[in-house]
Amino acid sequence: MIYLLTTNLQQISPEGIIDRYPNSYNHFVLPFVIGITFILIYLFIGLIRILYHLTGEDRLKLLKSLFNPKTAWKNIKDIFCDCLLHTKIWKRKPLLGYMHSAIAFGWFLLIVVGHIEVWLFAPRHLSGLTEGSLYYPIFYRFFIWINPAHETLRGSVFFFIMDFLLLYVLSGIGLAMFKRVRSIALGMRHTTKPSLADRVALYCLWLIFPLRLLAEGFTADLSGGGFLTRPLNWVFRAFFGNELNFLPTWWAYSICLGLFFVAMPFSRYMHILTEPLLILFRNAGLKVRHPRKGFAEAEIYACSSCGLCLDACPMNVQKKNLKYSSVYFMRFLRRHNKRKTREIAEKCLMCGKCYALCPVGVNSPAIRRAIRETQNNKIQCDYSYLGKYAEKSSENPKSGGKILYFAGCMSHLTPTIIKSVETILKASGQDYEFMDRNEGICCGRPLMLAGRGDAARQTIEANSKIIRNSGCTTLLVSCPICLKIFKEEYSLKGIKVIHYTQFIDSLIKEGKLKVSKSSSAIVYHDPCELGRGCGIYEEPRNVLRAIAELKKASKERDESICCGYSLGTLTLDEKDKAKIAESSVSSLMAENPQEIVTACPMCYRAIRSKAEVPVKDFAEIVCENIENNDKN
Amino acid sequence: MKNNILVIGGGPAGLEASKALSQMGYNVILAEKEKRLGGHLAKWDRLFPDQVSAKEVLDSMLSGIKDVKCFTETDVNSINLLDRSFNAMLSNGITVLADAVLLASGFDMFKAEKKEEYGYGIYDGVLTNADLEQAFREGKSSNPAPKAIGFVHCVGSRDEKAGNPACSKVCCATAVKQAIETKELYPDAKVYCFYMDLRMFGRHYEDLYLRAQKSGIRFIRGRVSEVAETAEGRLLVKAEDTLSSRPLKVTLDRLVLMAGMRPSEAGHKVGRQLNLSVEEDGFFSARDGLLSLQKSKLPGFFYAGACTGPKTLPDTLHEARSAAMEIDRYIKENFRK
Amino acid sequence: MIDFGFGVSPSSRINLDSADKEKFNELAIAEPDVLKCMACGSCSASCTAAAFEDTSLRRAILSLQNGLGDDASKLLSHCMLCGKCTMVCPRGINTRHLILSIQKIYSL
Repeated sequence: MIYLLTTNLQQISPEGIIDRYPNSYNHFVLPFVIGITFILIYLFIGLIRILYHLTGEDRLKLLKSLFNPKTAWKNIKDIFCDCLLHTKIWKRKPLLGYMHSAIAFGWFLLIVVGHIEVWLFAPRHLSGLTEGSLYYPIFYRFFIWINPAHETLRGSVFFFIMDFLLLYVLSGIGLAMFKRVRSIALGMRHTTKPSLADRVALYCLWLIFPLRLLAEGFTADLSGGGFLTRPLNWVFRAFFGNELNFLPTWWAYSICLGLFFVAMPFSRYMHILTEPLLILFRNAGLKVRHPRKGFAEAEIYACSSCGLCLDACPMNVQKKNLKYSSVYFMRFLRRHNKRKTREIAEKCLMCGKCYALCPVGVNSPAIRRAIRETQNNKIQCDYSYLGKYAEKSSENPKSGGKILYFAGCMSHLTPTIIKSVETILKASGQDYEFMDRNEGICCGRPLMLAGRGDAARQTIEANSKIIRNSGCTTLLVSCPICLKIFKEEYSLKGIKVIHYTQFIDSLIKEGKLKVSKSSSAIVYHDPCELGRGCGIYEEPRNVLRAIAELKKASKERDESICCGYSLGTLTLDEKDKAKIAESSVSSLMAENPQEIVTACPMCYRAIRSKAEVPVKDFAEIVCENIENNDKN
Repeated sequence: MKNNILVIGGGPAGLEASKALSQMGYNVILAEKEKRLGGHLAKWDRLFPDQVSAKEVLDSMLSGIKDVKCFTETDVNSINLLDRSFNAMLSNGITVLADAVLLASGFDMFKAEKKEEYGYGIYDGVLTNADLEQAFREGKSSNPAPKAIGFVHCVGSRDEKAGNPACSKVCCATAVKQAIETKELYPDAKVYCFYMDLRMFGRHYEDLYLRAQKSGIRFIRGRVSEVAETAEGRLLVKAEDTLSSRPLKVTLDRLVLMAGMRPSEAGHKVGRQLNLSVEEDGFFSARDGLLSLQKSKLPGFFYAGACTGPKTLPDTLHEARSAAMEIDRYIKENFRK
Repeated sequence: MIDFGFGVSPSSRINLDSADKEKFNELAIAEPDVLKCMACGSCSASCTAAAFEDTSLRRAILSLQNGLGDDASKLLSHCMLCGKCTMVCPRGINTRHLILSIQKIYSL
């Protein structure tokens, strides 16, 4: 046998494992070694850069979180579930979830089990650079010869596990290739257009595992193998005869790995290495402060360009708007294309659906807002009148009562909401005061969304003063846009901020408001700011189930389609908004309800303008179904 | 043999054209979806600019169609082109084979509840121009008399958001007429007209405007943007007085919304079956906007009245007569050689 | 023209000849909707800030067309961007973006 002539019998382990090469080295490992060295150095520098750009306060927060057992446990759990198992994708699209976890988790296990195998059978190769610790476990099957006479059960188990894992990864790769051709089969209507680096890395990734199979197949008669590689070896021998064919496949395998690692930082596959960092940042409670540096940079590199946000984005009901999706936004950010990122940042509806559905949890709306801040926060304005008004209105407190009702600017354009809320308040015998019946100050959320945080804080301050001085214990809000900022940015200690859907739900539960059930079939539209924004999905449904038959929309809860008239967008034009409203309505009409109900003045107006069936506000439909026992 | 002509719609356009066609010796079949003939005219009390009675006008129109076969409460269930003639199945079971069809489907009133902020259907004091005309017809007046009444022009007209970017042409004159009539009914009431641009383009229209001014009606150039309810249940109306450049509010007892014209849904139903094209505003497009206003793109199919855009009553009647002439020419050229 | 110096105060007449068209053109590119206004006054009537201070988008647009950039900036300096004007505008003008664009191009 020729190969035995080149073999230098170095050491014979009890398992009968023999190193076939002096120093366990062959030139083919070079591409891999170069690649992995490059990526390790890149990673180190990148990490230092990101940490450097964090503020001191954020760095301290991060450090503390790492030593806090609760967050540390959450970090481990999140990294395991999100980076390896991809549970978020599993939940929505099982086949796609399988594909991602097969590649990520399978590959991870291949590396781990491979190292365990080396640790058990050839431990000296795991320590010291000279012994090939960098590459030896990867190319283990190349470097060893196993005496078939000495094969142990323990060794065979590893052969089986390794082949099984390889098959697992290959099934994922197979699905990935199929997805390129027919993405809809895996539940994706649109997929991302890959960039050049993406393509290089993608094709390398596709090739790595088939090549590994080939390479290990060629060597299976020497190194041993499992149910996959051994039969492959018999086939190769039958066809090629000469065993020396195997070296080129090991070269190819190594080159693909090396090329993949070199292409990685320039491609979407950087997300594999960045996502754990993002998870640490997020769990530490850090926020986006700069649109490109620090936390944002971690988000930008953590974006996997999977393109799930393409189908999520409500603007993409028109194909021309695909270019405004988060995935391209992140790509332009990465390339420092200021013109494009600004354009996309201003177009976005800020409905938050891409964030809700993002498997990595990239908060692109926050980055969009940060970009708007750089544009708009410096605008000079005169808000001195707000303080004066707050002062004046605090002199004679509005509410001696317990409930202060704030309708918000928009609700004044939908009198039905105000009238219905007041009817319910009266019907349930509540003591309330109407904060902005005649005039009021904007809640500040529209300013915030437009990137004018400093200005928003002035309206927040003025409103806070009025609310605190009113003596109320509950602030009742009918507009989800106001609700979000009242909850997040106002400091109203001792005052409960509550949306009217929650309020009515509790009134019914406490028996203060009696409603009767009608036979009409209705569907509920989740407003973005109420659902994704404040996580309120159940309370409105509880009430609606009590008064009518509740149907489902084709997309609802956190997948609900924005009505299009969100205040989040700055540049989206009227026609595009109308198209989005139409698509939102068609989703709501999936089960042919007789009425549509929503709980936001903006959604109410938008959906009304497009729906063929009656559209009602939440409070309005509750009003229609109040039981009038007292009067009879 | 008399040629059959089908007229779809029994409003002023349909009636006037039917009269002319039957006088020319054609066999005219008229299909009207409502219980009675006359369209919106039948629901009106008096007409601008001279405040003549709508009933008298309608009666004189009806007297001219004795030879016309009129089917009321009848829809056109289906219509298709057979060779050169149109085959129409009516909802009363009758099938008509017509050599020419005249579409006079008119307009639908804009649904005022769509302008949510005006509170139509929410506040009792808010009504539409059609509601007011009906009250006039029925001779109803409120007791106690309202102290202040407002008229809002351009409700669902000149409004891209409401899907109606165009001017509805008749509301300004109607509003001024109704304002005068309201003032006559309640001489002590304050009457306001909120207009964007006052389009008093016709003969005698300006006289009407002058009369309104002289009777003390106040014209405010500004679009009403919000209507709220006061504690006493009156209406608090907000607008901008754009001429003095200041936001304005006024408390009213009645607010009359001048709902504009929308393309008729019944007309669209017919149009869809024959693939007739509509323009962006939803009204049918004529073969030529200047020279062939009454012709559709389909030979033998004609238009008259508001199905090709908002029109005043005199315009509609002119169109009806010229449509009859076009149909006569078409029949002579194609069927009597 | 020779200034004889008879005027005690500068003329209040709008001078279209000296109006700054460059900035207005820049604005019309940033937000073409500025050309769509028909001055109905819906925006000012519904304006949240106008309840307290002199605020009017309609007048601001008119001022800009007359070359009075400072007047426009003042008329918008109290705006809270609440978006009511966007909702009521019959011409579908993107008023919030228009206001932001005016504030940036004609900053005081």
